Amino acid sequence: MMSTGNGSSMNPKPVPAWLNSAAWTSKPRSPVRSTYSFGERSGSGSGTVLEAIDKPFRDYDDPLSSVAKVPQETVVTQEESEVTGPAALPSQDAGSPEHSSDTDENRGVNSPSSFDYRVSLFNTELSRRRIHLAELQRLSSQGIPDVGGIRATTWKVLLGFLPKNRDEWATELKKKRATYAVFRKEMIINPSEVTRRKEEMEAMKAAELEALEGPLQRHEISPDDHPLSLRSESVWHQFFQDTELAEQINRDVKRTHPDMQFFCGDNDFARENQEALKRILFIFAKLNPGIRYVQGMNEVLAPLYYVFKTDVDEANVEHAEEDSFFCFVELLSDFRDHFCQQLDNSAVGIRSTISQMTQLLRRHDEELWRHLEIISKVNPQFYAFRWITLLLTQEFNFADSLRLWDSLLSNPDGPLEILLRVCCSMLLCLRSRLLAGDFTTNLKLLQHYPFVDLNHLLKVADDLKN
Amino acid sequence: MVLVLALGDLHIPHRAADLPAKFKSMLVPGKIQHILSPGNLCIKEVHDYLKSLCSDVQITRGEYDEDTRYPETKQLVIGAFKLGICHGHQVVPWGDLDSLAMLQRQLDVDILITGHTHQFKAYKHEGGVIINPGSATGAYSSITYDVNPSFVLMDIDGLRVVVYVYELVDGEVKVDKIDFKKPQ
Repeated sequence: MMSTGNGSSMNPKPVPAWLNSAAWTSKPRSPVRSTYSFGERSGSGSGTVLEAIDKPFRDYDDPLSSVAKVPQETVVTQEESEVTGPAALPSQDAGSPEHSSDTDENRGVNSPSSFDYRVSLFNTELSRRRIHLAELQRLSSQGIPDVGGIRATTWKVLLGFLPKNRDEWATELKKKRATYAVFRKEMIINPSEVTRRKEEMEAMKAAELEALEGPLQRHEISPDDHPLSLRSESVWHQFFQDTELAEQINRDVKRTHPDMQFFCGDNDFARENQEALKRILFIFAKLNPGIRYVQGMNEVLAPLYYVFKTDVDEANVEHAEEDSFFCFVELLSDFRDHFCQQLDNSAVGIRSTISQMTQLLRRHDEELWRHLEIISKVNPQFYAFRWITLLLTQEFNFADSLRLWDSLLSNPDGPLEILLRVCCSMLLCLRSRLLAGDFTTNLKLLQHYPFVDLNHLLKVADDLKN
Repeated sequence: MVLVLALGDLHIPHRAADLPAKFKSMLVPGKIQHILSPGNLCIKEVHDYLKSLCSDVQITRGEYDEDTRYPETKQLVIGAFKLGICHGHQVVPWGDLDSLAMLQRQLDVDILITGHTHQFKAYKHEGGVIINPGSATGAYSSITYDVNPSFVLMDIDGLRVVVYVYELVDGEVKVDKIDFKKPQ
């Protein structure tokens, strides 16, 4: 291609090895792909998908696992809508666990990277009495199999919601779920109820309520107790302020993943999910008056809730709301400063994080950095802001972002560190196109990030760790 | 939990310039779901102001209203209650309970909101409730000059109504509460 030709002739430094990797060209690697019914570009996910494609369509050693694998990992191209891909996941989740886990022993271990082998590795690790966190992190960074609620449990352990000691799980869960129930009762108030309870405590004259005739008695009340009260101690005043907050949350939740039946379907399940999301965000906002609710938190919450709600274990599904609340709090504890507007220009704010990312880019690829910042003058805030605050949920389709979060959550140095590296690698993977573009094309490209093979992206991010 | 504001007999601009400042500071948009007014606003600007507080404004014709298109009476259903509005100058003797009860039976409502006397009244009479929110601006009436500004806010919640009475006494807002339940 012309641009790489020019680049390599002008650049005295040797071209990095990953630059020449075949994985990120758009031509299909093998003839099997072009006849593939799901389209030329196939999905990402664990490396086993590519293997399945290169082999004949039905793998006779493992017929069920290939059928189970492939539709799950299917990803429609970035430009098209993501309706079929993620929406197919729940049904696949329901279908595949029986197959994979049942036939695990019968099949035996195929090759080290086969799907069933990985499932068995996870199951072993998670069923230990004392979970070895570093080992689990290492396994998860290569992708968590989308089967049998493994992802839900792994994420809960990685985020610290479930303790490392398996015996403590039952008590911890009970305690945390009870705490949430208390929050729910306290935070979501109805002032009419409150005033009614107050009256009943003052021994309301029941006779008066039943009286048939005569002037109605006026009762004095304190200045806080009426609906138009402007005093901040008034329960009514708080209620109306909360209504504003609830409205804001409602607007955002309704727009979360509009293409997914799970969130925006026209059925009771979807509506219940939306209600749960609203409650979680509302309670979080009330418990954190410092940052309250900021648009975008709904996007960070959505994958957590989805994964926990599509768990296999019945009890976990029922308490998905509580579990996702606590995990959301854990996850956000690393990133809350990004949501606070006052901290934008401070050393912990979003601007500083973005500049950390650009410095990282500069260290590894000065030419690209120079081209972006100086020649095409693309202010990193225009694209990196969304990448970082929303943890890349908006840049990839839903299935890919779940895979990406496996890596984010399993990083031993914390999610922020790997997030910066992944952002950097996203820029590096588009190197040739960015170098060839001007302000408009580059900005358009970065704000609508094109499809890139996720495994390659993560490998590049790993290589940046030196 | 539906909040319904009832206020009337403002007589702006003829007998009063505006609502008292303390009332105005309390009446902010976004809290109230319905406004019922027996009448005598009297001009369009007051109607627009009420519309800015809440989109659902129901007004009946008072004898000094400049807009002739308001109806004489109105009925509506809010929650489990049927409410009726009428200015009251049509019902003679003015403010007489039995005559108002007759109007209530005619309209077939549980709560009747009337005005004209510029005096706050709340009565249970013959199976229904009659509420007169008084004059929100404290305008003088044909009967008396001594009028305290007052209006009424109802919190309709299921089968119970809590009526909050706001009255401006000696420059201070006094709030009282009245409870009643709909008989089964």
